[in-house]
Amino acid sequence: MKSRLSDWVQERFHLSGLVEFAAKKKVPYFRGSFWYYFGGVSLFLFIVQVVTGILLLMYYQPGAKTAFESVHFIISKVQFGWLIRSIHSWSANLMVLSVFIHMFSVYFTKAFRRPRELTWYSGFVLFGLVLAFGFSGYLLPWNTLSYFATKVGTEITAVVPVVGEPIMQLLRAGNDVTTSTLTRFFGLHVAIFPAIFTVILSLHLLLIQVQGISEPESWSEYPEHKKKFIPFFPNFVLKDLLLWLIVLNVLAILAVFYPWELGQKADPFAPAPAGIKPEWYFLFMYQSLKYIPAKLWLFDGEVVGVLLFGVAGLLWFLVPMWDEKTPKGLRNKLINYAGILAVIFIIAMTILGVK
Amino acid sequence: MIQKLLVVISLVFAAFAFAEEKNTCMSCHTETGSPEAIAFKSDIHFQNGLSCSDCHGGDPSAEDMEAAMNPAKGFIGKPKPADIPVICGTCHGDMQKDFETGVHGAALKNNSEGPQCVSCHGIHNILRVKDPHSPVSALNITKTCATCHSNAAYIKQFNPGLPVDEYEKYLTSVHGKRNALGDTKAATCVSCHSNHLIYKVKDPRSPVSPMKIPGTCATCHSNKKYMAQYKIPTNQYDDYAQSVHGVALLKNSDESAPACNSCHGNHGAAPPGAESVASVCGQCHQANAELYDKSVHRTVFRENSLPDCVVCHSNHLVKHPEDTMIGFHPDSLCGSCHSDVATDRAAPVIKAMRTTLQGLTRGQTEAEELLNQAEQLGMDVAEAKYTLKDVNQSLIETRVKVHSFAKEPVQESAAPGLKVIAEAREAGHAAVKEYYFRRKGLGVSTLLLTCLVVLLYLKIRQIEKKQQ
Repeated sequence: MKSRLSDWVQERFHLSGLVEFAAKKKVPYFRGSFWYYFGGVSLFLFIVQVVTGILLLMYYQPGAKTAFESVHFIISKVQFGWLIRSIHSWSANLMVLSVFIHMFSVYFTKAFRRPRELTWYSGFVLFGLVLAFGFSGYLLPWNTLSYFATKVGTEITAVVPVVGEPIMQLLRAGNDVTTSTLTRFFGLHVAIFPAIFTVILSLHLLLIQVQGISEPESWSEYPEHKKKFIPFFPNFVLKDLLLWLIVLNVLAILAVFYPWELGQKADPFAPAPAGIKPEWYFLFMYQSLKYIPAKLWLFDGEVVGVLLFGVAGLLWFLVPMWDEKTPKGLRNKLINYAGILAVIFIIAMTILGVK
Repeated sequence: MIQKLLVVISLVFAAFAFAEEKNTCMSCHTETGSPEAIAFKSDIHFQNGLSCSDCHGGDPSAEDMEAAMNPAKGFIGKPKPADIPVICGTCHGDMQKDFETGVHGAALKNNSEGPQCVSCHGIHNILRVKDPHSPVSALNITKTCATCHSNAAYIKQFNPGLPVDEYEKYLTSVHGKRNALGDTKAATCVSCHSNHLIYKVKDPRSPVSPMKIPGTCATCHSNKKYMAQYKIPTNQYDDYAQSVHGVALLKNSDESAPACNSCHGNHGAAPPGAESVASVCGQCHQANAELYDKSVHRTVFRENSLPDCVVCHSNHLVKHPEDTMIGFHPDSLCGSCHSDVATDRAAPVIKAMRTTLQGLTRGQTEAEELLNQAEQLGMDVAEAKYTLKDVNQSLIETRVKVHSFAKEPVQESAAPGLKVIAEAREAGHAAVKEYYFRRKGLGVSTLLLTCLVVLLYLKIRQIEKKQQ
């Protein structure tokens, strides 16, 4: 029966090459290979996002008079709606966390080096898109926190000289955060971003499959027999699956014990609640801007801050270009120090922001 | 005080001067039979040494008429109405200031027909206020005020909305009747409105503004010594201040709350008779009054000359009505007349009304507690909580229906509220049930996932062993 089925598939799709490829593919096995799994976890959480997002789409209605009400309907009336919504929100946050870890693990293991520059670039774009997904999705329930956080978030873009103001108006679909902003963010969140994300994710995965998984730096001097590998299929795939199941369970626990709150409906005429903050993954930038003095010599402090973040982001994106290998092809310490500094800065600023 | 002393001193000096100096104004005008000059001889000002020139200017020592009434010597002739308060204010400065600050001063400023000092006090025959012939004496003041305030054609020049029946009403009041009998202690217009410094009733500074009325009435009515001769209680203000009405007005500054005049009338102030009580209370408590009018209590109370609403609610000390007022418990009122015995036909009605009200209040509290419990468990019960608020409306209606003193209307108006309570309870129970369902669901899924993880782990180990 099994043989007949595989013959049937083989006859039509010629998958034997793919299976052969997967069976031959190897994954380096060493002390730090645990970090490899965060790419897979990010992918799994993205799949969860897509599935739960599609389910939410069945009931969600964008609009100032319907957005909040429809989300309330989902969590209070729709069978298992509360679970789907909570999992969607929690998995979005875990996905951002997982992508952060994945990105830094790639950075510290120097997996972005030649010939994997394109994988890094595509990964960086995916990281940006994940943040954009989070920012656009946050507004969709149209509650007080999301409304004012979006207002503050979009306002920051206006600080950028020359292009800032038009960008803010483009994001808001006008001068202020209104129902037009909501429908715009909805369109971006459920159609435009997923389409772009899918294309770039496919490219990212394809590059990984074609180029194979990067070996650790220290292996460059190792003889072949000292290098240890495990087969991609079934070993790595099964281990990945095992981790996915654990993550799924964590998601279920979070959704049941800490259901994502809906809060109060947004009232554009009400004053902003005290202590309004962006989502935790934007908090380090928001907190840093607060520490910059209002005037830095002749320049506006906030403008300098935003531009510095822009430059830092660009440097991060272009790291394969300015990272130089040591004569022995070993670790470049400057890169490591810069990475450690970035991690400490992000964690410290986030903690200060939460307080 | 110093000002008054100066006035007295100046009057004394003026008297000496008059004794020595000629007063050609008086001599000429008396000779010509001028009524003003004749009247002025009995005027308090003349008797205290003031002369015509003190108000009209001129030179009373000059023999020649032209010289005596020379504008160069300050002669002004008949003063203009607007100038009169200024002339009087030369000596009576405080009163002039009060007058100009008040509503009468404002009327004069805008219209020369407006009242001034002489409108009330007279012109050349001004008497002491305590003089019974003075137009502003206790027994004459109301008539004097009525000269203008009962004149519709005159009053409408200043305030077309102002009623002109105050005096008529006053005559029907206890105050008016006593005043007519010569009781100078009975309240007159100025007792409440003040004399020179009169504000509009709606002006919060006015002693008859809504917030100040109880205090103004209490000036006399809480004064035991003052009221002793009338043999009426003096605890009305203290009772009122503790009542639901008094707390609303005096503590919560709710100007729509009734003050003394809301029940007793203002100009026609009198205690409402036993048969008028329901009508008086019914001004605000319309629905209650309508139900009461059709109830068995009205007939019985009338037959026994009992003062309707006051029988259960008291008069000045109207407490916030509680559901416990109904029933046969120690703090209930029904037991004062009825008994919980088979022969009393009202007993089952009273019990049914109490049970219905308890059903609503207890039901609402219990449903709220259940919903709070569900909320604390993290369940969304906002909709049920919101709908539960409808019970308040049902409760208000049911409490009003109690005044029908029949069980059917009470039960009918409670029915929607009881339905809401039942739905809220159902929602609360469902939410709590759902909470436990979620916990069980999580337990089952965790167990399944853990089994899968273990199986997968064993499979990986098996594969790895095979590969080695």
